[in-house]
Amino acid sequence: MHAYGERRAVDGVDLQVDAGERLAIAGPNGAGKSTLLRMLATLLRPRAGHLRVLGADVADDPRRARAGLGYLAHDPLVYLDLTARQNLELYGDLYGIPDRDGRIDDLLDHVDLLARAEDPVRAFSRGMAQRLALARMLLHRPLLLLLDEPHASLDARATALLDRELGAARDDGRAAVIVTHEVERVADVADRLVVLRAGRVVLDEPTAGMDARDVRRRYEEATA
Amino acid sequence: MSRRRQLAALVRKDLRLELRTRETIVAMVLFAIVMMAILQFGFGTRDDDLTRFVGGLMWVTLAFTAVLGVGRSYVAEREQRVLDGLLVSPVPRVVMLGAKAIAIFLYMTAVEVIVIPLVGVFFVQGPYWDAIGWIAIAALLANACIALSGTLFSGLALFTRARDLILPVLFLPALVPVVIAAAGATHAVAGGPHDMSEWRGYCLFLLAYAILFSLVSVATYDAVFDD
Amino acid sequence: MPGERAALIWGVVATILVVVSTIGVFLVAPEDADQGVIQRIFYFHVAIAIASLVAFAVACVAGILYLRTRDARWDDVGEASIRIGLLFSVLVVITGSIWAKASWGTWWVWTDPRLVTYLIVVLIYAAYFVLRSSAEDDRRMRYSAIYAIAGFASVPLSFYSVRVAESFVHPVVFTSSGANMPGSMLIWFVVSQAAMIALFIALLEVDLVGRRSERALRRLALRLENA
Repeated sequence: MHAYGERRAVDGVDLQVDAGERLAIAGPNGAGKSTLLRMLATLLRPRAGHLRVLGADVADDPRRARAGLGYLAHDPLVYLDLTARQNLELYGDLYGIPDRDGRIDDLLDHVDLLARAEDPVRAFSRGMAQRLALARMLLHRPLLLLLDEPHASLDARATALLDRELGAARDDGRAAVIVTHEVERVADVADRLVVLRAGRVVLDEPTAGMDARDVRRRYEEATA
Repeated sequence: MSRRRQLAALVRKDLRLELRTRETIVAMVLFAIVMMAILQFGFGTRDDDLTRFVGGLMWVTLAFTAVLGVGRSYVAEREQRVLDGLLVSPVPRVVMLGAKAIAIFLYMTAVEVIVIPLVGVFFVQGPYWDAIGWIAIAALLANACIALSGTLFSGLALFTRARDLILPVLFLPALVPVVIAAAGATHAVAGGPHDMSEWRGYCLFLLAYAILFSLVSVATYDAVFDD
Repeated sequence: MPGERAALIWGVVATILVVVSTIGVFLVAPEDADQGVIQRIFYFHVAIAIASLVAFAVACVAGILYLRTRDARWDDVGEASIRIGLLFSVLVVITGSIWAKASWGTWWVWTDPRLVTYLIVVLIYAAYFVLRSSAEDDRRMRYSAIYAIAGFASVPLSFYSVRVAESFVHPVVFTSSGANMPGSMLIWFVVSQAAMIALFIALLEVDLVGRRSERALRRLALRLENA
């Protein structure tokens, strides 16, 4: 449960995400999607209830959870006045990854930024900054990806990269939680759809066998 | 995860940003010089000898300069919205605190390297570099005090409304003891014959302040970012 | 309700003690040979000063407990304590100023450590309310708790910083070896001290009763709104 003052933003949500599962969370504005994701990311402390992330109780041992989290927010979470490489070096050191420089080269190549690695992020287009954010998220090989409206902020190239990553995540047993209001895309990128309304779960079902139109219909039934 | 590696990375990041943008230290130095000049104009006509006051005025100026520098200490994280990136990473909050404190300490030291020898010309009597050396030791201790309490208060002010106003209101009263002690230590060695026992007393006081505030900061800093 | 009963009992105790100590201080206690009648303000001046420190200590402990439990009631205790402590500190400055006027013929003496220290203390805790008013909900309580702890660390620092360069113009009634006064004075000092601490507790209890009912009312309003 999380409350702002006396208003409860997320209440009575009981969810479990398993390894290899990709969960999409949808809902109208103010439904508590972002609050829930920020709690999963250990950025907000639940006011009541229990939250375990990657086997660690967030209240007791948030750092263990953080080590395995990959968080993609609206903002790329990089310093504009550092170069792409310097940003990744900083995060590499914060996460304590071994073979930092090799890993950074691989990722910059993966997101197609190797040629611009020594440029400050301030000179980047929004799409490039988001690709760098993608590299930042993947740097420490997180076990749980937390994505906040990824399709709203990524350009086509980055979206293709992300979708490929989400496919790979399912195959090697990593998990993902995707907050989105583009429900049409849910069938492509997630195995399960949860719909929140006024801080409560109103729908929770697998998306196997559904196409975009089915998902949209189920979403509208749930939020009507 | 090595804390030392995290600490070094965060400090290196702050210094890289400062080297690239040169926003903070240059502004701090200019501010200190302008303010010293204003204080001189405000206090005296050409005939008055301000020598006795200048050491104290210098520390008043440095305290305001510290407020300015500390106020900039989370500006990149806030304006470029990077703080969440640091907070979701497995960095202990106390390492974040330590890194910011080290950055503030270095900024203040950089400012003082210019300001103290410059202003010292106007108030040091007797052997010049001898006095400046003793003042420098007190200044380093004062910087530790400023860095530790400043990091805590700038963290508190970060998400408040009117944070630019809140920070001086919180920070300056806590700086009063530092100003008193640093000015006292300066006075003890600047007037020709050194009063070393007085100097030592003030320096011990600064040390005690730094230790006490580091304890308070370590105990509470987890809570500053614990939303 | 137990809270209301506690408030009532402490209110009665405080009233009795204040009346008894006022009578004792003005009618029974012996007149000071040097200073005459004005010395009697000392009983209140020092007792209020110590009571205000007790209030700030309570707020510091409440801050620690708030950070541990995140229970809003500790925030209530903290804020109420600092509000009363700040009121008492202002009284300390006023009574000290009156005493200064009577003893030295001037309302304010910058070389008197006690007056100056309390001025700093007033500034430190006035900032607490500025901080409170610029943040909301959980953040407000968290920041307040942290500041109450840091503020209480600043108090002894302010005391000592002012005293390192002590100039003992102020009449010394206490020395480090104990109370430097006749037994009949000491008794009335102890009674006034008890009266001021009881007054603090009574004010705190009354304040908390008010807050508790306010919070219950707000909850009720919210429930009606949702129904």
